[in-house]
Amino acid sequence: MSDKKRILIVDDDHDFAEAVGCFLEANGFAVWRAYDGAEGIRMAKLERPDLILMDIMMSERTEGFFAIQEIRRDPNLRSVPIFVLSSLCTHLPDFEIPSSGGWLAHDQFFAKPVNTAQLLEKIRQWLGKAA
Amino acid sequence: MNGPDAPETVVVIDDDNAMRLSCRKILTKMGFHAEAFEDGARGLEGVAELKPGMVVVDLKMPGLSGMEVISRVHEIDPQIVIVVITGYATIDTAVQAMKCGAYDFLPKPFSPDELRLIVNRGLERRRLALASERHEIERSMLKRRFVTFVSHQLRTPLVAIHQYLDVLRHLDQGADTQARRQEWLDRCLARIEELQSLIADWLTLARVEGGTLVQERVKVDLRQIIPDILKTYEPTAAAENVTLEAGLPDNGLCVCGDRNCLSVLFDNLITNAIKYNKPGGKVTVSGTLSSGEVVVGVADTGVGIPEKYRPFLFDEFFRVRDEGAKKTAGTGLGLHICKRIVSEMGGTIEVASEAGAGSTFWVRVPAWREPETAAGSQNDERQETNTDRR
Repeated sequence: MSDKKRILIVDDDHDFAEAVGCFLEANGFAVWRAYDGAEGIRMAKLERPDLILMDIMMSERTEGFFAIQEIRRDPNLRSVPIFVLSSLCTHLPDFEIPSSGGWLAHDQFFAKPVNTAQLLEKIRQWLGKAA
Repeated sequence: MNGPDAPETVVVIDDDNAMRLSCRKILTKMGFHAEAFEDGARGLEGVAELKPGMVVVDLKMPGLSGMEVISRVHEIDPQIVIVVITGYATIDTAVQAMKCGAYDFLPKPFSPDELRLIVNRGLERRRLALASERHEIERSMLKRRFVTFVSHQLRTPLVAIHQYLDVLRHLDQGADTQARRQEWLDRCLARIEELQSLIADWLTLARVEGGTLVQERVKVDLRQIIPDILKTYEPTAAAENVTLEAGLPDNGLCVCGDRNCLSVLFDNLITNAIKYNKPGGKVTVSGTLSSGEVVVGVADTGVGIPEKYRPFLFDEFFRVRDEGAKKTAGTGLGLHICKRIVSEMGGTIEVASEAGAGSTFWVRVPAWREPETAAGSQNDERQETNTDRR
């Protein structure tokens, strides 16, 4: 049990968190779920997960960008890989997120809906790197 | 203004020493941060540095004229409220000053009360102006992001459905999966319903973009509409263990409006009251006719709406996001549509809410008035044709 890698999912869509969470649990991970940015920050500090999956467009003030900044500010969490999972990978100028831009302190970007097989592969890669 | 809790700063510019001292004393006593300067040049430096909410300036000073000071202050910040002090002989100049952008003037000599009154009034106006400016910025941002917003709203349920189906395909066929499959399929259906109502709501709004929702102005008896809606939702409410009750008067509860819109209005309010209720809770729809106004209350016994959310409740896409909202699907457009319908009918909609005890939405609309020209005996036939279209 204790050797399971721990993943925190932060997403305000309970159904999305449920589906992806169950998928990861079925693949041998321990999963925590938080349903807004504030809860995500709190849980990240408390549980110190090995990896975080973060949604971007959640309720105001506690949305993903802010949560990522907050999490990165914590010395204990500075190097925890953060994957951004968002449907905001659109071509609309307001929200264009260059997945390789690097300006947002995330490590990997996934467009929603997420290709779970790819997600699993990337998670294993990153956690393998860390181990 | 430095932060929301810092006292507002008021700058006094007057060459008269006694005037400076007494103004400062009065303003400080009122709880403001007051600073006084003896001439225009120094006053302007002070304004640039202190960023006051208000400047009180003597019009007749050696050096830089009061009029000059007004325009320079507004170059620094057009939202600073300016009050000019002037002698009786210069009322004309005071009017001139107001044309230049001063908010008001105080003729000398004035009492402390007069100063207090004008300062409070001026700062109140500033607060309102700043609030409406902020509101304007928010509106234009919202418009700009409307497309992004809508596409995100449409995509969210689709993503959830996709993800459920995708994961179901990957999971093995254990007993856990069987139970999960059933639950997830139910959730998928719920999300599809959400998507459908979002599209319906959005179309309702898009169809009338810039126009009106209320297309008809006919006599509509709410005692027919409301019980019909309650009957429709009886099974939904029973499933949630919520009781529906109507307390409507025996005689007419007639308003002048659009039958479809009124159905949408009460449909939204009643489904909300069921959705945001507690198991074992109650929804009560009451109606009264008083002084030319029909007042309908839709009350639930749910968790109530936190005060901080209430100002935004009727905004497009606004949704209360709190614990317990897990299974409540919603588009964030329902109450916005309600507000529009009620406003177009010349009425108001308000919410009263108490934490833990529930919320009541109060709709007030003008009651139907029989047209004076209609012959009494023909009223019934004439109702439907009496369409006082906009």
